[in-house]
Amino acid sequence: MAPLEAPVEKWTGKIRELKLGSGGRKTITVGGGTTLPFVKFEGAQPHRPAIAIEVQDKEPTDWSEFLVSAWGDALKNPGAWAKKAAEFGADLLYIRLASAHPEASNTGAAQAKKSASEVLSAVDLPVIFVGPDVAEKDNEVLVAVSDVAKGQRVGLGNCVEKNYKTIAATCMADGHVAIAKTPIEINLAKQLNILLSDVGLSPDSILMDPTTGALGYGLEYTYSVMERLRLAALMGDGMTSMPMICTAGEESWRQKESKATLDVPQAWGDNQERSLIWENVTAISLLAAGADILVLRHPKTVVTVKAALDKSF
Amino acid sequence: MSRYIATAAIRGAHKVVRQAEELYADALKTVGPDAKIQFKDKGGGGTAYWLPVIYGFTGQKVETIGDLKKSLEHAKGLLPPLPGEHVWLPYLGETLDAGMATLFAEEIIEGIRFAKGQQPETRNGFTFNGPINDVQMRGWGIQMVDGRMPGFAALLGAAKNNEVAVKIVRELQSKGQLVFLSSSSNGRSIVDQLLESGVQLGYDTFTVPFGTDTISTIYALGYASRATFSFGGVTPGDFRRVLLYNKFRCFAFALALGPMDDVKWATGAGAISYGFPAVCDTAVPNILPTGITQYEHVVSMPFDDIPGRDDMERAERLVQRCIEVRGIKIKIATIKIPVAYGPAFEGEVVRRADLQSEFGGKGGMCFEWLTTRPPEEVEDGKVTVVGPDIDKFEVGAKIPLGIVIEVSGRKMQKDFEPVLERQVHHFLNGAEGLQHQGQRDITWIRLSKNAYAKGFRLRHIGDILHGVYHNQFGAIVDKIQVTLYTEPKKVQELIEKARGIYKERNDRIAGLTDEAVDTYYSCSLCQSFAPTHICVINPERVGLCGAYSWLDCKASFEINPTGPNQPVKKGPCIDQTKGEWEGVNKFVYEHSQMKVDRFTVYSVMDSPMTTCGCCECVLALIPEANGFMVVSREDYSMTPSGMTFTTLMGTVGGGLQTPGMMGHGKYYITSKKFILTEGGIKRLVWLSKNLKEELGEELKAAAEAAGVPDLLDRIADGTSATTPDELVAFLQQKQHPALEMPPLL
Repeated sequence: MAPLEAPVEKWTGKIRELKLGSGGRKTITVGGGTTLPFVKFEGAQPHRPAIAIEVQDKEPTDWSEFLVSAWGDALKNPGAWAKKAAEFGADLLYIRLASAHPEASNTGAAQAKKSASEVLSAVDLPVIFVGPDVAEKDNEVLVAVSDVAKGQRVGLGNCVEKNYKTIAATCMADGHVAIAKTPIEINLAKQLNILLSDVGLSPDSILMDPTTGALGYGLEYTYSVMERLRLAALMGDGMTSMPMICTAGEESWRQKESKATLDVPQAWGDNQERSLIWENVTAISLLAAGADILVLRHPKTVVTVKAALDKSF
Repeated sequence: MSRYIATAAIRGAHKVVRQAEELYADALKTVGPDAKIQFKDKGGGGTAYWLPVIYGFTGQKVETIGDLKKSLEHAKGLLPPLPGEHVWLPYLGETLDAGMATLFAEEIIEGIRFAKGQQPETRNGFTFNGPINDVQMRGWGIQMVDGRMPGFAALLGAAKNNEVAVKIVRELQSKGQLVFLSSSSNGRSIVDQLLESGVQLGYDTFTVPFGTDTISTIYALGYASRATFSFGGVTPGDFRRVLLYNKFRCFAFALALGPMDDVKWATGAGAISYGFPAVCDTAVPNILPTGITQYEHVVSMPFDDIPGRDDMERAERLVQRCIEVRGIKIKIATIKIPVAYGPAFEGEVVRRADLQSEFGGKGGMCFEWLTTRPPEEVEDGKVTVVGPDIDKFEVGAKIPLGIVIEVSGRKMQKDFEPVLERQVHHFLNGAEGLQHQGQRDITWIRLSKNAYAKGFRLRHIGDILHGVYHNQFGAIVDKIQVTLYTEPKKVQELIEKARGIYKERNDRIAGLTDEAVDTYYSCSLCQSFAPTHICVINPERVGLCGAYSWLDCKASFEINPTGPNQPVKKGPCIDQTKGEWEGVNKFVYEHSQMKVDRFTVYSVMDSPMTTCGCCECVLALIPEANGFMVVSREDYSMTPSGMTFTTLMGTVGGGLQTPGMMGHGKYYITSKKFILTEGGIKRLVWLSKNLKEELGEELKAAAEAAGVPDLLDRIADGTSATTPDELVAFLQQKQHPALEMPPLL
């Protein structure tokens, strides 16, 4: 029997390369692929997907005990947390300014500057900062952080249709990268990229967050939207060709399969193992869908996903 | 180009350049070529962009007096000769060059003044701000990019009096415009006028005093230039992009108060290169045609000739005109009405027991009519009530009401009137305690006792409409005024007039054919779940969901140019009967992930349009009857095809192209282009009963046009046939024309 020949698709497009970190900070480049993820016989994939670890500027109150015990006292201080995340092997950090949420401590620009400075001086890794996902509040804290991090090319997010202009403006002024978040929808994702470019932000300074559904909670929907974004980009659509970031950790640790510890049916097995499986499977599936940066929460997941990448990338 | 203005500007340019030369020669002697030049504001905040206008244009970093030599030569090189007496047409290009030479010279002069410690200016114990520092530029720049602050107004000279000066500044501030102050007229400066009136000036109040001479206006242009480096990614020296960025993104203009002089004209000529127009409150020649600026270049509005009750109203109109000339869009942050407003109230019903007043409905009279007017006839935000208000009527009264909405806008088109007018329903329902139904002359509005008790009166209807139109349709309307009539005679008179307009619109829609336009519109709203489906919407074929007509799409594209409705150029016609065009095929191919390479608009047998899943109706071939059936989404019963609507959707939805079947909007049935290729409405053999009833009149008209006036009686429905056999028997008994038509298969 003749050996099976791999069908090779000829793509005209390319995923954009995006660099984070500058001005003395370590740098990382993602994207640049000329084929679908891991289809190495077909095209180039110059940059390995990067692993970000999520850090918050206040101690989380709703985190699973398994996460709390993995991080210990580091959770109480963003600088210490960031350092520990670097030790656990993060390629970059994803700092959520959670304290600014109106229903949390409702802190503002001053606190954001303080937390950002702490993190930036604690580690030399590339950093992404996101607000509390309340459009007005995001603008307030991100503009402040942008100023502190000027020239260090950090990521700032999340831009949504309501507030993208302010974040884009501050990214342009201070040389940062904007994260464009849309609710699992290809057209909206593309539209936000166009809108950001219209304001004047370079398409090479945009990261897309297509919104992640965890395993069992819309993962397949996310997968299919991401796959379509990649296909569109490879077919030559320059407005869908931005690299993608996925918050796999946050989404999987929100689900009851990760959180529940009481009255759990025996068939569900060990609680901690199950929680980790949830984050692992979500993360690795998203790599296959085309994620360029994965944001994770548990240090063990970082190890597992990195091992998976070592084998397959 | 006005000879008067061109000559004055060129003369002014010569004057300023000469002054710069003299000061430069003097500075070489007094402070020496190595003296440092550093722009700073009065608080000591500086800039990293040297002399920003010169830096932006040439890329030259002026750090010392000696460096000015090159800039000065540049300015002199730009300077055109003074027009001779017999040159009747001095040209725009020369005037613009003179303007640029002026800006260079002005920045050189301020640079020298800084080197000599003469800036920022101090007069009568007041220190002017001088050039804006980089930190403040960045803060305001972000607001200009995100739209909170449209741009800046550079006020030059002095207003008619102190009250007018204050009013102008307040009006500009209320529109979110940053205010820069410079120059003088007859020795008075608007800065004096504002200070005398106790107005606080400075960064905190968004009013920046630069100086008392015209030369200090250069700081405004320096600010504009720096914004392009920070936010436009412009490389200094790339002057074309510096100018274009400002033209399209920085909504700035100059307002010259009091008599003009040569240096003001020269500076204005420089500002025009940035796309910043000038409005003068004195009698000067107008330069109206569009070109370097987006709209008019120079507009004269002699203050005392502005219509208005008093100077305050004249000041308001002057600012309004500036806003129009620069094309600034207004956003209304909160709609000031005494009741809550939001989507939560849209479904609210006002019952009889809660009823305060009622307009229209059975036995009443109420209409709404939106019309376009020339800009000078619309005063933005004006709401007038003609006749007694609600409080003059008893509880539960039925009050006649006419709502007349007059709009103007550079992008407004007559065709958008019905699209905008239809929004009244949605807009008014958002108010708590207000219920709106119907449209045109069958409008029916109810107001609750509670809303009345909170203070809701008729004018608030106008306030809602003004605010929401601005916010949602700001891309096409610039000004909105609303008049509410309750006088029965007047309402009667106007309703007659409005009916005439409604009829005209109906005729226009009826006459709007696919042949009459060269562009169709796409709709990709449903690609989230049907990724390979794309709608192409034609004047004679409404979107398959029924929600988007060609006109709706056209308006939607104007409002949101990156949105789901994009223009589709028809291109060369491939087949007129089938409705196939090269441009449409190309668009469909590119937007269906290359899954559909051609489709026809008027045929169901050959490459019909795809369906997302939202269609109002499904049309399907019934081979035994040699015709088609149309099933409505509201019809749950069995059809002669052996499938219900739901089962049919499984075959036709999801972006599939299924010859012999397709989804469509219900009004497509009454279109002249309804399955034209297969013979049109005469092929319709079965139709859901609810559609027969709902479209009765229109169907009758379409049947008559097809030459079979009683066609509707010969078409079966769920009560007469649910199997092919029953259907064929019914059709034979009624002698349905489809039986005689050429075979479909």
